[in-house]
Amino acid sequence: MNKHSLFPERGPAFWWTGFTALIAAGTIFILFVSLVIESVPVFKSQGLSFLWGADWFAGEAYGALPMIFGSLMVTGLAVVMVLPFALGSAILTSEFLNGRLRLVVKAAMELLAGVPGIIYGLMGIAVLTVWVRDVFGLIDGNTLFTAGLLLAVMILPTVMTLSEDALRSVPGEFRDTALSLGLTRMEMTLKVVVPQALPGLAGAVFLGLGRAMGETIAVMLVIGGIDRIPQPWFNLFAPGQSIPSKIGREAAEALGFDVQWSALIALGLVLFVMVMTLTSAGNLLLRRAR
Amino acid sequence: MPARFSRKVILGLALVLFGTGVFLQIGPGGVTHALAQDSTVIRIAGSTTVLPIVSRAAEQFQTRNSSVRITVNAGGSGVGIHGTGTRRLDVGLASREITSKEKNRYASSRLNTTVIGRDAVACVVSSEIFDSGVRSLSRQQIGDIYLGKITNWKQVGGPDRKIIVIDKEAHRGTRHVFMKYLFGKSNARAPGARLVTGSNNEEQAKIAQSDSAIGMLSIAWINNDVVGIGIREGHQVIKPTLKNVRAGRFPIARNLNLVTAGQPRGVVKQFVNYLLSKEGQVFVEVSGYIPIRSPQLMSQVAGSHSK
Repeated sequence: MNKHSLFPERGPAFWWTGFTALIAAGTIFILFVSLVIESVPVFKSQGLSFLWGADWFAGEAYGALPMIFGSLMVTGLAVVMVLPFALGSAILTSEFLNGRLRLVVKAAMELLAGVPGIIYGLMGIAVLTVWVRDVFGLIDGNTLFTAGLLLAVMILPTVMTLSEDALRSVPGEFRDTALSLGLTRMEMTLKVVVPQALPGLAGAVFLGLGRAMGETIAVMLVIGGIDRIPQPWFNLFAPGQSIPSKIGREAAEALGFDVQWSALIALGLVLFVMVMTLTSAGNLLLRRAR
Repeated sequence: MPARFSRKVILGLALVLFGTGVFLQIGPGGVTHALAQDSTVIRIAGSTTVLPIVSRAAEQFQTRNSSVRITVNAGGSGVGIHGTGTRRLDVGLASREITSKEKNRYASSRLNTTVIGRDAVACVVSSEIFDSGVRSLSRQQIGDIYLGKITNWKQVGGPDRKIIVIDKEAHRGTRHVFMKYLFGKSNARAPGARLVTGSNNEEQAKIAQSDSAIGMLSIAWINNDVVGIGIREGHQVIKPTLKNVRAGRFPIARNLNLVTAGQPRGVVKQFVNYLLSKEGQVFVEVSGYIPIRSPQLMSQVAGSHSK
């Protein structure tokens, strides 16, 4: 083993790509460190009770639990609602549609994936809240469920189109072999293609999950905006608050000032850690499953 | 690539859609002014109640003074005061007074308020509730609704329907004034609330969509779907009309303020004076508020913001 084994070639390409990779990784690192530093004051004044306090009133108390709960709830809901539709349409597009039609569907989905949150938010406030209220016979349509549903619609194109890519990248020989062994097309898809594409599918879901968890404006407009855990907690048809929505509502007022600002940054830190944990836990589970 | 392209197009559309509420960049050739070296920029943001007056006035002011560019943003009174206190804004808009806490916090900025108009905060309900007969409520009743002690319209003479209580973000001017009237404390809590909204537009939209909501709104924002109800005091009902506010009868009145760090100077002073001029005061009137330069009102402006 010589000393160059880790980086066998050190030409200009190595240095350039190394530099860009360092910038990319460094950005995440700096972001994390500054989140930690800026959130120190709130942990100093509230202790760890910041994390499980259920009461948030600017200037008096800062408890993040309702926001953490709300974020997990709407994101979980969105993923559960999106999975069957995203996977179903991905399988159809990848395995059953011919080339031309497939391109049309893909293009439409990619177009949809680029629509910014505010558009969904406006549709949500104008249509979805009223629709949810009337269909479910609620007194008001600004609920955790509405936010989850809106997020599901928002992440559908992302999850669908990335899932389709993952399915598509399974080599054709696998399909040919499966079919020649006498499997039906459906069996081939479910028993051969999907398992092969599992890491890619999981990646698609995690990317969608990340977007759902971080979505601010669309959620802010339909979630109700109240920092409260519903009674009972599984009551999805009650208003609530998510972390980004809370930050969106209070940030301009607290910008760079006081414990309130620190509390909002700490919320951001919690969100950061949540997304990181979920993603790495997902990857870990996946590696173990294989 | 198509995805990215579409994102830009739609983002542009979104900006246009939200231009009125979120970001107003006013004035003929605003962009060229932005690029011109010698243009002076006045940065304004804050209360969505004061915003319509100032954006109208800014438009006129800019046509007269081509070297001045004015940006007007929303955000809420708290944002206006905070922004001025931290010197990120030249003028903050506030539909409430500066709290003593805020005064201490930004002591070094020596915050100064200039009153440009008068307004009142009405208790508003969905039109369905008004039509079903709830035309007025007492302070006690509204307070109990916000505390969660009264939860059904039936309890105050309305239909048998749950009350959707709409609260506002804590720093909003309208909330400060309304809570001060209800509970004597501008940062009182409202445990009975179901929804929290931000700008006047947002609150207006949510109340209009509902058939059983109650909220608080500047009288200029009242319309057919969002109806202002009377305040009952003893046997007397005081309706939220400009006439009653002008006469000093309506109990939840307030000043509309411009906040500056110290006395306004230079171009900012010119703009503030323009708003106070006879011509500037017209924008106060057309926005649905009460000008301070009408003789009936001068006596009140000196007094406190709620009777």
